[in-house]
Amino acid sequence: MTRATKAKILVESSDVLPLVDVEIAFRVGSLQDPIGKEGLSQLASQLMRRGPHGISADAFEDRLANLGARLTVDTAMRSTRIRATALRRNLEPLLELVADLIWRPAMRARDFAKLRRRAQAALLARLDDDQTLGAIHLREKLFAGHPYGRSTSGSADSLRRIRLQDVKRFYASYLEKDAFIIGMSGDISVSEAKALARDHFPKRTRTMNGKRDVPATHIPRGRHIVIVDKPERTQTQLYIGTLGARTHDRNLFPLIVSNTAFGGTFTGPLMQEVRAVRGWSYGAYSRLMHSDQRDAWYMWSAPSAEYSADCAELQLELLDRWVDKGLAKASLKFAQQYLINSHCFDRDTPSKRLESRLDIELLGVPRRYVERHDELVAQVTRKQANDATRARISPRDLVMVVVATARDVENAFEKLPGVKSVEVVPYRKP
Amino acid sequence: MASPSSLIERLNRGVTRRNARWSFVNAQPFGAALELRRFHLGNGLTVVTLVDRSAPTVSYHTWFRVGSRHERPGKTGLAHLFEHLMFNETKSRGRGEFDRLMERAGAEVNAATWTDWTYYYENAPKNALPLLIELEADRMSNLVLREPQVRSEKEVVANERKLRVEDDIEGRALEHLYATAFRRHPYRWPTIGWMKDIRGFTVEDCRRFYRAHYAPNNATVVVAGDFNERQALSLIQERYGHLSPARQPDTKPHSKEPAQRSERVFCMTAPTPTDKVLIGYHAPPFADPHTPALSIANEVLFGGRSSRLHRLLCLDEELALSVRAAISPFVDPGLFEIWISLREGKRRKDAIALLDREVARLAVDGPTDIELEKAINQIELSFLHGMETAGGRAEQIGFYETVVGSGTAFDRLDAYRRVTPDQVKRGADKYLRRSRRTRIEISETAA
Repeated sequence: MTRATKAKILVESSDVLPLVDVEIAFRVGSLQDPIGKEGLSQLASQLMRRGPHGISADAFEDRLANLGARLTVDTAMRSTRIRATALRRNLEPLLELVADLIWRPAMRARDFAKLRRRAQAALLARLDDDQTLGAIHLREKLFAGHPYGRSTSGSADSLRRIRLQDVKRFYASYLEKDAFIIGMSGDISVSEAKALARDHFPKRTRTMNGKRDVPATHIPRGRHIVIVDKPERTQTQLYIGTLGARTHDRNLFPLIVSNTAFGGTFTGPLMQEVRAVRGWSYGAYSRLMHSDQRDAWYMWSAPSAEYSADCAELQLELLDRWVDKGLAKASLKFAQQYLINSHCFDRDTPSKRLESRLDIELLGVPRRYVERHDELVAQVTRKQANDATRARISPRDLVMVVVATARDVENAFEKLPGVKSVEVVPYRKP
Repeated sequence: MASPSSLIERLNRGVTRRNARWSFVNAQPFGAALELRRFHLGNGLTVVTLVDRSAPTVSYHTWFRVGSRHERPGKTGLAHLFEHLMFNETKSRGRGEFDRLMERAGAEVNAATWTDWTYYYENAPKNALPLLIELEADRMSNLVLREPQVRSEKEVVANERKLRVEDDIEGRALEHLYATAFRRHPYRWPTIGWMKDIRGFTVEDCRRFYRAHYAPNNATVVVAGDFNERQALSLIQERYGHLSPARQPDTKPHSKEPAQRSERVFCMTAPTPTDKVLIGYHAPPFADPHTPALSIANEVLFGGRSSRLHRLLCLDEELALSVRAAISPFVDPGLFEIWISLREGKRRKDAIALLDREVARLAVDGPTDIELEKAINQIELSFLHGMETAGGRAEQIGFYETVVGSGTAFDRLDAYRRVTPDQVKRGADKYLRRSRRTRIEISETAA
């Protein structure tokens, strides 16, 4: 649908500090990357970030720095967010620069070539960080062949295939005409923000980029292990994951409460058994992710190579117990109290309050999740929490990713119960 | 808020124990709208308050003036291990109870240890403040140290060391940097400790450490956020007032580090596709009057995308993926650290040659007026960002009280604003000399 429209504006005011955060948010992300050209949406937004026509990239950076401003672009699966922060006294000139960047990005060939080389170098740099490496492999294996398994940053091959024309086309199709949302938070009133937005982002013809259909996610049957083989590891990064939840699942809040009780706090059984009782890992937690289709649920720990498989076995036992036996009443109540009482930290700054509102507009998070959070948590019954866990978390169908020196752990991991396949991949896979 | 004198008078009414009597130290503006107030309890505990009702939260920090510099060879890592042990049982609270009560209240709880300090903090909904005061006072004097807890926590710390140092390129390089740059000063050993020392700690080591360093006269409590000051001080008086001061731990100055006269180089190998370089120039202490000018030099050279070295190494020459630097915020002289992560196939010596060229240029010509203005604006932005939450403000206050001993971060911001191009030039010339530096060169195979 195409129509002339004003950009939607969200404002969260606070005069505590002379700072303003500005966010221009698009409903466009890496899910729009064509197959074989993964990384395109990120390259497009980063090329925009190099500045508008009529000013060199260096001069643009100097002007930003001189204003005491920071500008970042963040591309995710379903959104692109341009975030600028400035000292209040410099907000207007910053908005001019940002608006110029959005309406008239320079997109120079020289900048593109440099940016693509930089993106390729950044892919290599990820190999230094074992925890990131594990997380990437988990998603690749868990969502193999599905858009959720594709990396926002692309791969060396996909980046090589992207041309400047692709980037320009992507900008023209999705970013230039998208009905973006403007958010401002900090030392600015609602009327000031609206006036500034009107001046810098006037009514334009825009396309309402509607919700894209993403196919349902599926997980391979059985337990599958991927060992990411990296030399000289004394400890391991251990991820155990399966499918998680959909944002619109009716049982999302029961599952959030249940997961919090299991692995979302320091005093939950996962952290207690792994760290406090055995000292096996500096930390251990579980995370529940939700999206349009079922996203991931996973456990993380970092045990020594010598007892990594023992730690995995313990975590699998804890997982079985959680799913089979469910939560005790006291654990449920504890998790509810924790979630309700700590919720104030999701809204203690204007920028956090703005993020919540942007999630509603951008990601389709139901408004009641934000506005009635405490009530939704408090309403969860033990039966709902346990039913949701059983319905959503499968201990039989799992992906385990271990970043380790393979020869130190391979035999022990093969012996874990229910293992259907073990794959060893070099950490610098071609 | 009540005036300090009437507040103190009210709080001390009927209190006869010297340890529990309050005295007011001073008040100081904290930015444009807030006021920071300092108090002393008779037992030596310093308490700093900052009331700010912008969010319904409160942050409670306890800073102890003990860090890895107070350890000795063979017992390195004890301050850090102790930070872990402080979450265990006390005489009045069973194992795990501290964490359970805090989490139930919705509090974010953590701690950190470095060379000069250890601090513990809770960020909590405002109504949880009485609980925070009660539990922090309890563990300051009632901690129970037994073999099973010490054994399990040693294993956790050993795993933390593997995670953050042995399997982490930058962590390992930093350890080599400080061990090579310092030969006498305790900054030469890592805060997490050498693995052999971690394995060797006994319960008695921990008990001795606790008695020596965990006492009200070695601590500063900071309360920031939405709270009633009189009620908070009254509760602190009730919970901490019965504690006795410890005999002041050894405060003798540490061995002075002899001046470094020539560049030191250490080469290390790691499984990594790209080379890296870590460089450390001996730098002044955080509170030294030269440090603000050196911080501006850091910003001009390495601060963000428009800085000289980022532009040169990452954008123009495409030698590096990233470059960044920081000055260690220590009580004694630390290091001006620079980290350069090269691109595949690029040579370390080319990056170092460009670094040397730019450092020399700054030492001769200084920054331009525009660069100086940019640097100050960027520092101000970072500083204000750190002040967004009650926790951020409490951390800044605790750090200044412990490391600088007076003033606030806002005084520091004023000091940055007073820096001249000539001071930056002289700072670069004095401190960023090749003879004062140590270089850690990292590659996949030995050079």
